[in-house]
Amino acid sequence: MNIQEHLPILLVATPILMSALMIMLRSRPTFQKTLNIIVSASILLMSIILLLQVWNSGIQVYEVGEWGKYGIMLVADLLGSGMVVLSSGISLLALIYSLDYIEGKSLNTTYHSLFNLLVAGLNGTFLTGDIFNMFVFFEILLLSSCGLVVASENGGVTKISDKMEATFKYLILNIIGSMVMLIAIASLYATMGTLNMADLSVKIATLSDAGTMPWHIYFIALLFIIVFGNKAAIFPLHYWLPDVHPTAPSPISAMLSGVMIKVGAYGILRVYFLVFKDALFLLQPIIILLALITIAIGAIAAVGQKDVKRLLAYSSVSQIGYVFLGIGMGTAYALAASLVYLVNHAIAKSMLFLTSGGIIHHAGTRDMHQMGGMVKSAPLMSSMFLIGAMSIAGLPPLGGFIAKFVLFDAAMLGEYYLPVLIGFAFAVFTIFYMFRAWLLMFWGEARDSEKYGPYSSHGLSPMITVPIIILAAAVLILGVYSEPLIALSSEIANQLLDPQPYINAVLGGSVR
Amino acid sequence: MNNTILSITIALIFGIGTFLILRRDIIKIIIGLSLISHAVNMLIVSTGVFDGEKAPIITDGHHGSGSGIIFTDKLSEGILAPIVPSGVETPFVDPLVQALVLTAIVISLATTAFILILAYRIHEEYGTTDIRKLRRLRG
Repeated sequence: MNIQEHLPILLVATPILMSALMIMLRSRPTFQKTLNIIVSASILLMSIILLLQVWNSGIQVYEVGEWGKYGIMLVADLLGSGMVVLSSGISLLALIYSLDYIEGKSLNTTYHSLFNLLVAGLNGTFLTGDIFNMFVFFEILLLSSCGLVVASENGGVTKISDKMEATFKYLILNIIGSMVMLIAIASLYATMGTLNMADLSVKIATLSDAGTMPWHIYFIALLFIIVFGNKAAIFPLHYWLPDVHPTAPSPISAMLSGVMIKVGAYGILRVYFLVFKDALFLLQPIIILLALITIAIGAIAAVGQKDVKRLLAYSSVSQIGYVFLGIGMGTAYALAASLVYLVNHAIAKSMLFLTSGGIIHHAGTRDMHQMGGMVKSAPLMSSMFLIGAMSIAGLPPLGGFIAKFVLFDAAMLGEYYLPVLIGFAFAVFTIFYMFRAWLLMFWGEARDSEKYGPYSSHGLSPMITVPIIILAAAVLILGVYSEPLIALSSEIANQLLDPQPYINAVLGGSVR
Repeated sequence: MNNTILSITIALIFGIGTFLILRRDIIKIIIGLSLISHAVNMLIVSTGVFDGEKAPIITDGHHGSGSGIIFTDKLSEGILAPIVPSGVETPFVDPLVQALVLTAIVISLATTAFILILAYRIHEEYGTTDIRKLRRLRG
């Protein structure tokens, strides 16, 4: 048996198996922790092998049960496997971080199991080639992340009632989003008689060439904007994010803001550029408009925040707008730029959330006005937050600069002058709110210790600092040596704009 | 005629669900959500019912003239459901939508269970199920 052929299914099946096993191991916490780290590391290893395999020998197709396009298919192309590498890297680091950060009781019972389900949902969403399975994996993601948001952290700065209220909002909105997705899928199935995305693509292309495109295909495509926009929190559907992401424990915030909202961007890239190619002319102006409003709303709301994690969450809203701006422009260069932006934001934002966990641990509060002068008492956190803030704000030589530069360059080449102007204006806002946060927390005088109590003298363990340092190094490396990422993104963008190899790989093997 | 009644029923249930979601009580919101999910499930099932009414169990007699091909979807001959025996005039309902709706029902069961427990805990924590009174998250 050649193990390399089975990598796509292993990436989904291993975490699901482990999530069951972790529940059974809850009486042996040390073993559970070690096992989960080993499993996460091996998932990262497998995903890197899968990416190399896809890079070297083309798109990998795995037919579950050998039913061909009528069954469940896992398809690993460059976009999917690249996203899997990104998500498993961040989830490994977030897991190491959370071992020390999450409260012991909550960690031992359900945390590991739900975390593995989250990883399985992410990997499955990125690898599936079947649109109904995408819905199923979305639901796995939704329920496991809801369970993780209410996990309690060691510091105890967030009240459980806040978490439950945020989770309620998140759950209701996402269930409605899932219902919309089911309606869209059912209409698509009733029209086209298939759920496989490559097959759908061929059939819609045939209908479009024959000039007999049913009119409601366009409406189905519009419904998918609601679904993926809800996942990615773009403008009219963004208001749950600033409640959910801050109230979650910091490693989970890092996962949610770093990877989970990218699922929406991934869905748009996959479904629109594969299935609804012929409806794109209608959708692109809508996506650009929503992206610009998202950039503006997120940046303006972030300026006035006093809660550090809420500021970072609003910043996520603003930054995902830039990713959607690139997707909306739709040229090969703009798509590559938005992928570069996506990777940079994922790494920098998850690092910032992990750092904010350290800051909260040190200060015992999330309110930035109650902090101050922490540059002396927490020098590591201060420099790490500065790196992350500079990257999000887009200052050289960090990753965010390259990302913004490539995106604006693509927009100028595509002659989208007004979007560039708006994006640039709110990039200035980004610099302002990021450095305002840094100044409030780290600069100035130390806080009034009579009023708020002294800072915690308890140092941060290596489990907490090492993941942050690794991510900071990644941000730096992406800034000074960005050619491989840009080359990979350009290759992915070319694959997205020409889905014929994907379709051939999926449908070529199915003879039935 | 039957299709019209089915469509009207789905639309009514969906409408009632939407109305309930816009209420202030958490429990009413949850009931509205499950009504909407039922409406969506009925929609999925209704997409699979063509003219046929037999259960989708294919016996040997229906395999066509010895070719053994079960799957045909030639776009030039009209859009067919994926699993239709060759040479048979689709007296069957589509089996795939039933599998899909089973999955959707199980998922909506899980989410409803989760959200009911969450509502119970919210009631314990806040002492109310009125949406207007749980506004601790501000800013």
